[in-house]
Amino acid sequence: MTTLVIDNTFDDPTRRAPLVLGHDRFGTVTEKICSISEARRPPRAWYIAFAISLAFASILGVMILYLFATGVGVWGNQNPVMWGFPIVNFVFWIGIGHAGTLISAILFLFRQKWRTAINRFAEAMTIFAVICAGTFPGIHLGRVWVSYWIFPIPNQMEMWPQFRSPLLWDVFAVGTYFTVSLLFWYVGMLPDLATLRDRARTKVRAMAYGIFALGWRGSVRHWHRYERAYLILAALATPLVLSVHSVVSFDFAVAQVPGWHTTIFPPYFVAGAIFSGFAMVMTLAIPARQLWGLRDFITMRHLENMNKIILVTGSMVGYAYLMEFFTAWYSGSIYEWFAFANRAFGPYAWAYWIMVSCNVVIPQIFWFQWARRKIAVMFIVSLLVNLGMWFERFVIIVTSLAQDYLPSSWGYFTPTWVDLLTLAGSFGLFMTLFLLFCRYLPIIAMAEVKHVMPQANPHGHAGQEPGESEAGR
Amino acid sequence: MIPADITNENRYLGELVPKICRYAGLGGLALLVASVVLGWAGEAGWERLLRSYLVAFFFVLSLSLGGLFFVLLQHLTRAGWSVVVRRIAEGLADNLKWLWIPFIPILVAVWTGHLYDWADPSRLSDAERALFQHKEPFLTPWFWTIRAAVYFGVWAWLARFFVNRSVQQDATGDPQATARMQSVAAPGMILYAFTQTFAAVDWIMTLEFAWYSTMFGVYFFAASTCGAFAAMIIIFYLLQRSGRLTNVITTEHYHDLGKLLFAFGVVFWAYIAYSQYMLIWYANIQEETIWFVIRQLGGWKTMSIFLILGHFAGPFLILISRYPKRWKGVLAIGAAWMLGVHFIDLYWLVMPAIPAELIQSVTTYSQLVTEFEASYLPEYDLHWRVLDLTCLLGVLGVFVAMAAWSMRNRSLVPERDPRLDESLAFENY
Repeated sequence: MTTLVIDNTFDDPTRRAPLVLGHDRFGTVTEKICSISEARRPPRAWYIAFAISLAFASILGVMILYLFATGVGVWGNQNPVMWGFPIVNFVFWIGIGHAGTLISAILFLFRQKWRTAINRFAEAMTIFAVICAGTFPGIHLGRVWVSYWIFPIPNQMEMWPQFRSPLLWDVFAVGTYFTVSLLFWYVGMLPDLATLRDRARTKVRAMAYGIFALGWRGSVRHWHRYERAYLILAALATPLVLSVHSVVSFDFAVAQVPGWHTTIFPPYFVAGAIFSGFAMVMTLAIPARQLWGLRDFITMRHLENMNKIILVTGSMVGYAYLMEFFTAWYSGSIYEWFAFANRAFGPYAWAYWIMVSCNVVIPQIFWFQWARRKIAVMFIVSLLVNLGMWFERFVIIVTSLAQDYLPSSWGYFTPTWVDLLTLAGSFGLFMTLFLLFCRYLPIIAMAEVKHVMPQANPHGHAGQEPGESEAGR
Repeated sequence: MIPADITNENRYLGELVPKICRYAGLGGLALLVASVVLGWAGEAGWERLLRSYLVAFFFVLSLSLGGLFFVLLQHLTRAGWSVVVRRIAEGLADNLKWLWIPFIPILVAVWTGHLYDWADPSRLSDAERALFQHKEPFLTPWFWTIRAAVYFGVWAWLARFFVNRSVQQDATGDPQATARMQSVAAPGMILYAFTQTFAAVDWIMTLEFAWYSTMFGVYFFAASTCGAFAAMIIIFYLLQRSGRLTNVITTEHYHDLGKLLFAFGVVFWAYIAYSQYMLIWYANIQEETIWFVIRQLGGWKTMSIFLILGHFAGPFLILISRYPKRWKGVLAIGAAWMLGVHFIDLYWLVMPAIPAELIQSVTTYSQLVTEFEASYLPEYDLHWRVLDLTCLLGVLGVFVAMAAWSMRNRSLVPERDPRLDESLAFENY
């Protein structure tokens, strides 16, 4: 038995840090990760969290029923702010849903091997976040019974959706994203589902996992095809990471509304989405890591890397805020300048400064190493970033509409109790799905984690100790 | 695959340096003199010479800035694969320490009221003059010059810092140098982002006095990565042809450089260009569309369509495949093509100008097209001139000579980088 490394946070250019700590055999990795879903009972904290989440999810259901029975008047959406909470929540949740595919596709193509420990539940989170996101435009339609009209389905009436509208592009962008993310998540999970099937103690478990494992036997041919499929899906998913939030940004940026129409919106929205998505991964990873004792897989180095990405993307968002403000002044357009000055100093200044401090100022703490390695600090920052990114969408949508070109039609948006409970309920739905995932599926990609362990690479090249993987970039 | 042993390699420019300096450097200077003569004696005039010169200057600036970005990025991500290709990127970036010298003509132009309409407010229309009062604090020659000094100062400092540390490490082999560069890379990237953005705003975007786009800095960033990655591929190809680094740089490194060229220079560039165009076209606000209107008239229209096909569609279809990226000769041709279209992209950014009186005299787009074709076409249409080429080759020749000169005593690979072995053994799976 070799000596086990405990600290892998060093930044030593002469050697790569190990990514899995405390395991020198594949068997113990399987045992540890499978035990989470094989346990007879999940930890007590899981039950408590699940009960709360389910309660909130039920609130969401009740709110939607109330909405359908009454009409969208129950929301705070009112002239001039016709896009209120539902669209804010939609963009927020879509943004959350970006980290998963970034981690699984882009970091994969960039050979960032540390992603293996977090990609599975980040992808799961993506799927649940997109479900939450999709709910909002769906229930916003007014006549929900004809909601299938948003799809271009051939029909006798020759009724087609407006192809020139970015709202329809959203349908395609989000639909494609959801499909590919789901496929990616599922394909990546096949070897692990087969592991769970093979270890199953009961007939029911063996059947359930067996059906979803699609007959995976782990033959060389299976692995070969699997890895090709994974690479192709990663290549297909990569442009989707950029396209979805770019299209969402088009919803705003194609309009002539000051504060919405600015050319930097597409990359700025993408950076913001990845930023908020990583913050949400952090918010979920920290408790999961504590609860199920996953510190050997989601090591301090992983958390530190994620904090660095939060810092990078937060700074990109800051760059965009600055360019918008500068250009609003530089343009010499009084409407542009009013929109931005009004955001910062007008009736919604409180929201604007929450946004700026949570998204740009607070993440700067991650310039300091101690902050990147302190669980409490990163957890609080991740919560604040989630808050800040929700407010970013609120600021963009509400402030630009509330004070438009005509002062006589100015207004002030106030959410109703239905708005607030629907938002809270969407968190309930999200958490319910996530907790079910934690209970029944392999939350860490076992097969992939084993790939980045030294034992998987016995023929290390020159300059590497035999068995040392070129991990931890 | 057995990793190459760098000691068996010819890894110095050696006798090439005097040759390059003589042919490229002196040739370049001669071409620059020829450009001045053409500008002075030819029909094109000084203004045209300055614009051509600005394109050529931006061409070499983009190579250097793209090289600096590459160096920063590799340190920031603690990359291992790229060690053997990093020295050439450093060589490109190293030129930033003297690029302020070829900038002097542009500086003189601003102080003498040339090149930019705002430099000589009497050239502005009445409507623009009101706007000028608003923008004046930003566009006074003084403030503009101070900003330029800051950009060049930051770039020169960043380039010197990374190049010197890296070269010193060849002698000392000290891993601490790498650690130090890694920690400076992060704030360096922030400085890079802002200086690069505002340089593009100051020197290109303000050519069209009233126009603005928040995306512009990102557009120039995408363009400069295209230039630098293409240049690196070509440089390695030529070095290997001359018997240098023959085994150090492998197919795997070309493959990765090709991927970067594809991702940044082709796809990311197209993403940014499309987003900028589509948003402005869709919203159809006059002060924004004006910039694209001229680029949709006469020969500029052909050039715009050419950029879509030649900078995006064609290279996309070719470089997406694995084979061309691993086939040195083909990749080098592709990179040369990308470098060419990158020049055309910069030309397309800088050259077109639309007469203000035309905009004021028409009310519809079709009227504008008719009017433009009837009376303005000879003066404002796309006309290639000899001095476009002499300026480009002149500045580029001097640029290449300076890069070769600073590499005269340096190894072409970071010899004792702690991750050199990883880079030599690198394979794409």
